[in-house]
Amino acid sequence: MEESRDGDWTLVARKPYFGLPTACPVCLPVYIYLKFARCPFNLEINSAYPDSDQIPYVEGGTYVAYNNEKGGVIQQLKQDGVVDLDSEFSSLPEWVSMKAMMSSWLADAITYELWLGSGENSAKQIYYSDLPWVIGKVLFVKQVYDVKQRFNISKQNAEKKEEESERMAVIVSTIASANTMSKNKLFHPCRPTSLDADLVGHVLFTLKALPEDSVIRAALLEHGNLVRYAERHKNDFLTSGQSSASASNFQPPPSAAQARLMESLSGSKPKRKPKREKTEEEKSFQRKAKYFIGAQLVAVLLFLSLLGSSSKADLDEDDED
Amino acid sequence: MAKPDEFKPDPPSENPKTEADDTDDENGDGGYEEEVEDTEEDELDEEEEDEPEPEPRVRTPQSAVRMQRAKLEGLFQRLQTQSVPLRVHDVLIKGNTKTKDYLIESEAALLKNCTTMQEILEVSRAVNFRLQALEVFDSVKITLDSGPPELPGTSNVIVEVQEAKSPLSGEIGAYTKAEARSSTVEGTLKFKNIFGHGDLWDGSFAYGWDHISELSAGVHFPRFRGSSFPLDVRAFLLSQDWLQFSSFKERSMGLSVALLSSRNHDLVYNLGWRTLTDPSQLASRSVRRQLGHSLLSSLKYTFKVDRRNSTLRPVRGYAFAATSQIAGLAPDSRCSRFLRQEVDLRYAIPLGILNSALNFGISGGIVFPWGAGFKNMPSPLPDRFFLGGNSSPISSLGGPTTVWGYRTRGLGPTESRRQLKSNDGDTEDAADPGVDFLGGDLAVTAFADLSLDFPLKWFRDRGIHGHIFASAGNLERLTQNAYKDFSLQKFVSSFRTSVGAGIVVPIQPFRLEVNYYYMMKKFEHDRGKPRFGVTFSM
Repeated sequence: MEESRDGDWTLVARKPYFGLPTACPVCLPVYIYLKFARCPFNLEINSAYPDSDQIPYVEGGTYVAYNNEKGGVIQQLKQDGVVDLDSEFSSLPEWVSMKAMMSSWLADAITYELWLGSGENSAKQIYYSDLPWVIGKVLFVKQVYDVKQRFNISKQNAEKKEEESERMAVIVSTIASANTMSKNKLFHPCRPTSLDADLVGHVLFTLKALPEDSVIRAALLEHGNLVRYAERHKNDFLTSGQSSASASNFQPPPSAAQARLMESLSGSKPKRKPKREKTEEEKSFQRKAKYFIGAQLVAVLLFLSLLGSSSKADLDEDDED
Repeated sequence: MAKPDEFKPDPPSENPKTEADDTDDENGDGGYEEEVEDTEEDELDEEEEDEPEPEPRVRTPQSAVRMQRAKLEGLFQRLQTQSVPLRVHDVLIKGNTKTKDYLIESEAALLKNCTTMQEILEVSRAVNFRLQALEVFDSVKITLDSGPPELPGTSNVIVEVQEAKSPLSGEIGAYTKAEARSSTVEGTLKFKNIFGHGDLWDGSFAYGWDHISELSAGVHFPRFRGSSFPLDVRAFLLSQDWLQFSSFKERSMGLSVALLSSRNHDLVYNLGWRTLTDPSQLASRSVRRQLGHSLLSSLKYTFKVDRRNSTLRPVRGYAFAATSQIAGLAPDSRCSRFLRQEVDLRYAIPLGILNSALNFGISGGIVFPWGAGFKNMPSPLPDRFFLGGNSSPISSLGGPTTVWGYRTRGLGPTESRRQLKSNDGDTEDAADPGVDFLGGDLAVTAFADLSLDFPLKWFRDRGIHGHIFASAGNLERLTQNAYKDFSLQKFVSSFRTSVGAGIVVPIQPFRLEVNYYYMMKKFEHDRGKPRFGVTFSM
């Protein structure tokens, strides 16, 4: 990893809660990603800006990777050559499709559940418990409104949207569960990727932060291997001694480290590892993965076509009315 | 606003009310006509009853006028040479259909303590002025009438008001409010006396020199629940853009209540929701840590005494101001908590030649958080001290704000902003993002200014004069354990200094200066260089 020394990297995220180092479903995958990368960093908490789309962000010296730029913090860290766990897989179609499902369907389902479903109390604890009551109340109402606008939810289609969201979460869980059936990692047997970070983050958040009556949580609990997979990784990075993740550990970056960071960022194209010959096991794995992903894609297409036809039927009913 | 119809003279034939006449002030005694003293007439009548009645004389109109005039002249002489004992028996109010009696009675309460006619006339003038200042009357007329016959030596005061025909009015002006941080130019729409308590409701938009804009609505009660102090309540929406200097924007909305407002004292309570944002996403680390929402609940007390002959061109006298602010006055411990203190001292010494004067001034301020873990907490960014700007330190008494010659927020602790990569991915070639000025927890400024008239009469007639000045100032951080490294010697040795000369043009109520500045001592990131500049203050 391109890094500066002396632990000058800092991840600014939301507050810890529910036994998680950061209880925000957007911040947790970034945290886990940095842990997977064995990157020493400080964790700082920002409780005063719950409606900011800049958080989480990673900073080191004068370098900052904001969440609302270049596709997110992880994507920006990869593009800037700071840390890249996906260099060998990011061009594979199966990788792209899994990543898309994780970052859209599963993330949207969790967002829906957190702000519009049974996770309302969890949202208040995570985002507004450190703000004065009046401010927290107003910001919560505003956020709920923004989420409704984002998902285009109205009184007429609220139920349908909820069912749709749950269905998507169930599908992604099923796919992810199948891929983790026999392996420690989601996509690569030897090392984790950002996909693992996303899945572990989302699963842990769903299990720990959402209430017991959450539909998504119940669907996830049906896949024991997913739960075990997430718990295993959580134990790994919580017991890992390489990172100093202490909250509110603010230290201004020393100038020497800043210079090193600037040097490290200049002309920073990631060095490619020399290609090595693939073993029989890896070839077999890739072949099976392609067949399985192909089957899942067909299932998704069937689902979308069914969904489209039911929407069309609803529209026809509305026209008749 | 209609000119007050204070006092009108009675035509000689009318009897018996007397009114003070401002226009016939030939003797310079306030221009009041005589009062026909019924009490003296009563005494004369009583005396006459004991004597055998003389033969009735026939009075012609001319002789009546002569007698009246003689009596008036006699009264004028008595008023000039001796006290004429007279007490106020009652204050009668007329003309108020909407305005509550208590409001006018409380303004006229001082009349009841008067013991002489001269005192009554003096106090009547003051009462008239105060009633006009309420801005709810088109005219105010105060008349003295004879008291009840059974109480000799008394009079009744009749206060006749004409309420404003139009409750709506508009104004544009320059103000310095207690709850505002600086002087502003403001446009206001007012609704007057809606509930009859002398209440003034207004909506206003203000723009200040330090990139501040404010939309507010408020109500002013001259006497709230019988107290002698006015009450001001304002709801405000305030916006300040500091992106260029410190990479953040501030937006505040809330309530401001002026609890006490008099000549020397101001007590204001502020409750506000403050949000700091960085839309540019270039902020330095220290500024990034301060972005977000906070609740400000604070009490601010200002004591001010200004004995200078003028604020635009002080030639003699002194001024002193001290402002104390405590924030965090709320049961919720999650609001912003800090203590802030400012002190200003100004002194002007006349030199006697060409109307010249030497002005000295020193200002200081300190801000510190309080509460659990306060030693490790930073002070709130918007409440720190920032030095620099285009205002003159001579006129203003608002704490340490200006060092002549330095641009807005142009000196003090800085931090590098976020570095962006250039389009080709090479950071070294990326444009320098600059620095953020972070302000200081401790600030001190001082100045000395010599002003003198130009020899030409044309300049003297218009108050245009020249001045030579020197100023110094410095900022230092104390919070987050930085106070442990604080050294007075180092603080003094790192003072920035500047000198200059210029022309001052007083344009009421502003002081316009066109100056040349030269920096004697500056540091690497300070924004000041030898140049011509204009300052504007009030």
